[in-house]
Amino acid sequence: MKQYQLGEFEEVVMLTVGVLYDKAYGVAIKKEIESRLRRSVSVGALQSALARLEQKGYLKSYEGEASEERAGRPKKFFQITAYGRKAIEFTRKTREELWSDIPKVALKLIMG
Amino acid sequence: MPHPPQIILRFFRWYVHPKLRDSIEGDLIELYRERVREKGKRKADILFAADVLLCLRRGIIRPAEGHQQINTYGMLKNYFTIGWRSLLKQRMYSAIKIGGFALGIAACILISLFIKDELSYDKQYPNANRIYRVIGVGNHNGQLSKGVHFQPPMAKALREEYIEIEKVGRYNNVELFGAANAEVRRADQMENLYEDHITFIDQELFDIFQPKFIYGNPAKALAEPLSVVLTRSKAEKYYPGENPLGKSLIFNDDKARPFTIGGVIEDLPPNTHLPFDIFLTLSGWEFWKGEQTSWCCSNYPTYIKIKEGTDPHELAKKITKGVIDKYIIPMLKEEGRSDIDEIVKNSWIELQPVTDIHLKSEGIWDGLSHGDIRFVWLFSAVAAFILIIASINFINLSTARSANRAKEVGLRKVVGSVRSNLVGQFLAESLLYSVLSFVFGLVLAILLLPYFNIVASKSLEMPWLDWWFVPALVAASLFVGVLAGIYPALYLSSFRPIQVLKGNLSMGSRSSSLRGGLVVFQFTISIVLIVGTFIIYRQMNFILNKKLGYDKQQVLYMEGTHMLGNQIQTFKEELKKLPMVKSVSISDYLPVRGTKRNGNQFSLEGRGKIDKPVSGQFWRIDHDYIKTLGMHITDGRDFDRDMASDSSAALINQEMVKQLGLKDPLGARIVNYSQTWTVIGVVENFNFESLKHNIDPVMLTLGNSPTIVSMKISSEDLQGTIASVTEVWKKFAPNQPARFAFLDESYARMYDDVKRMGKIFTSFAVFAIIVACLGLFALSAFMVEQRSKEISIRLVLGASMNNIVRLLTQNFMALIMISIVLATPIAWYVMQKWLEDFAFRVEMSWEIFLVAGLLSILIAIVTISFQAIRAALTNPVNGLRSE
Repeated sequence: MKQYQLGEFEEVVMLTVGVLYDKAYGVAIKKEIESRLRRSVSVGALQSALARLEQKGYLKSYEGEASEERAGRPKKFFQITAYGRKAIEFTRKTREELWSDIPKVALKLIMG
Repeated sequence: MPHPPQIILRFFRWYVHPKLRDSIEGDLIELYRERVREKGKRKADILFAADVLLCLRRGIIRPAEGHQQINTYGMLKNYFTIGWRSLLKQRMYSAIKIGGFALGIAACILISLFIKDELSYDKQYPNANRIYRVIGVGNHNGQLSKGVHFQPPMAKALREEYIEIEKVGRYNNVELFGAANAEVRRADQMENLYEDHITFIDQELFDIFQPKFIYGNPAKALAEPLSVVLTRSKAEKYYPGENPLGKSLIFNDDKARPFTIGGVIEDLPPNTHLPFDIFLTLSGWEFWKGEQTSWCCSNYPTYIKIKEGTDPHELAKKITKGVIDKYIIPMLKEEGRSDIDEIVKNSWIELQPVTDIHLKSEGIWDGLSHGDIRFVWLFSAVAAFILIIASINFINLSTARSANRAKEVGLRKVVGSVRSNLVGQFLAESLLYSVLSFVFGLVLAILLLPYFNIVASKSLEMPWLDWWFVPALVAASLFVGVLAGIYPALYLSSFRPIQVLKGNLSMGSRSSSLRGGLVVFQFTISIVLIVGTFIIYRQMNFILNKKLGYDKQQVLYMEGTHMLGNQIQTFKEELKKLPMVKSVSISDYLPVRGTKRNGNQFSLEGRGKIDKPVSGQFWRIDHDYIKTLGMHITDGRDFDRDMASDSSAALINQEMVKQLGLKDPLGARIVNYSQTWTVIGVVENFNFESLKHNIDPVMLTLGNSPTIVSMKISSEDLQGTIASVTEVWKKFAPNQPARFAFLDESYARMYDDVKRMGKIFTSFAVFAIIVACLGLFALSAFMVEQRSKEISIRLVLGASMNNIVRLLTQNFMALIMISIVLATPIAWYVMQKWLEDFAFRVEMSWEIFLVAGLLSILIAIVTISFQAIRAALTNPVNGLRSE
């Protein structure tokens, strides 16, 4: 259990990296999250999460080409590792288990 | 393309982790440009700044320890290991580095203790910053005379007329009045003991200085007439193991006026300027009738404690005006003086902070022995120089032997050390040396402290218990380590790895000119110290052997003879009968310090109100005085027993003749206060004060002054003479111990302070020279090692030992010569300043510099030639074999 610790924001970042596939670098991830989740994400929050995830081994990175738009700085692209995939799958599995175990009545009552 | 604000970007680059820098910066710039397009530059700037601030997160910020190292412990350990190994590998050089440092540090510790003690004087009184000593200044044609003695009622005037003054207290230890020394005994015993630190004081002086009382009420201990306060050690002396409160002491056999003990105080600490141990009250006491209310005579040092917030300068001005207007002018008018305006204009009052008294009383005549702020400076300088010389050794040896470490440096660089690592390494090494040196230096200082105390006549201790001492030592050792290590560290770490590893580095030659400069510096200081020592010694010799105008050899004198009362003349006759006694004289006034002195005014008859009076000494002597002391009458005659008129006759010294402007002194009539004296003879000037001062006018008249009996003796057997004289004395005064002194010894004691300073100076000069020589020794050893191949080849080709020694010494000789040239004017200037203190002094002459120069060359040659001769005697095969 413990080994696949993933925070909520971290999970979102992981998933977004997955969504963007080979275009997942800082600004793109940020925009994707902002548009899908309708919340603003600061560069700092995103980058520290990326750094954390990379350190845990869930993501790996490689440097892309430098562009004039970025004043000659290379983009840093992220990819989900196999280990990272296990982590999000684990999270997903646990969530689904939780969903399926909620008695129907309980949800009805809340909705009703 | 728009650019984000540089300052914020720079801030970002400063804190961000280097690995993340490019990618995040790229993101930030990309966003920024997008925002500039969409929202305008101003808004984009603000959002950029916000983003940068929000990036301040764990994981993004650069780690504190830097990116190359995670843990420096291993490296540090390695530095010290390597340092320790290289220390052991080159034992001689290490021993010299550490030994020199240790000597320097020991000297510094001792000097610091000395200086600290000198600076601690009189700081112990509560509110010491509000206590002042009143100083009277007189301006005599531009020459200021400063005195501390005031008229008895001065204190009362100050107390009553100036609200700024909280307390006023006086003391009086004028020997003329029986203060200063006395024969003392308990009222219930007969045996007298001699005490010589007695003073009369006001109760209020105790209120100002607030000594710690053991017995008695501090506020009233001296309030009653005829009360006395003792220090603890004196109380123990007279009343061992008892509480002496209320008991009586008798002074000088004056049974009618016993003093009652009103209190006992702790012994005064050694760092007070008032060295007394018996305090007699001034309350209700008068030395003569009407004395306490008379403004005639100044005998009382007066101290005040001012109220908080008072400006002492303003107060001094106010007192000057007030006292002169109210008291001095009326008194002068009464005397009928015509030069009142002149006197008033040239006299004023100053207030001297009590904490300045010990070190800053130059030129103030107070009869106390003082330190001298200039010596504090001088010794600080000497301490600093010794330390610098030791540091120079360290620097020279470290850089000279750099070749030995060059490979190491190169290799370390190749495997990834950056320069700061290497600087750190060599600093760590020099810290190792400096800490070791401090340990040895401290041990040395502890061992030397007892001797230093004897030489400096102090009772200094290592202040282990003071909170600052150990931290200060640690801080000092770190500081010195860094100071001495920084240059070698920078130098050694600057080697280029490729050159070093190829073996291109010429062996430590690069900084040889710097090394030469440092050697010159060391020897310049050493030579200045040698010259200083020589001159101090010459001046000492000059003082001790100067023709003084009297013969101080073989004069024995006894003090305390006034106890004999009327029998003193009989005693004198008895002494004369002794075979070894040539002549005997009764007089309190001897030309050495510690006997009676006074201040008097003289003028020619009839001109008292016209001329400025001449101030000088007025001594009472007897018929045998001139003969006993071997003084010379240059004109006229000595006193004669057969001339009844001699009771109003006087001898005057040549200085008096000069100052009174007498053409024909014999028969001149001189007035002293109300009495007139006829001059019958002129005595050759004789030195009766320290040779620091000029000779003052003296008048000698017949009179009774029975405290001291002096005798000229002919025997070489001094012990036997003292025994015979004591025997005679016992017949007259069985209860009274006899106190003997020899005039030449008392004379020599007058220069104890000069001698003491000379000794301290000499010992530290020797320290400095030893340290400098150690350095030279090591440098020459290094040089021999370096040139061993050259020397071997020369020897093979037939060079003689002479050639080799000359070859090796000539470089250093040139440096020593430069030092001599530099040192001469410095030494000349400094020692001229020192000699200016003495009115009678030796002339500075070129031989001193010649001798000092030759001596330093000799020292250097001896130091170097040891190595040079060894080199010349080695088998040349040893130097050449390796190739």
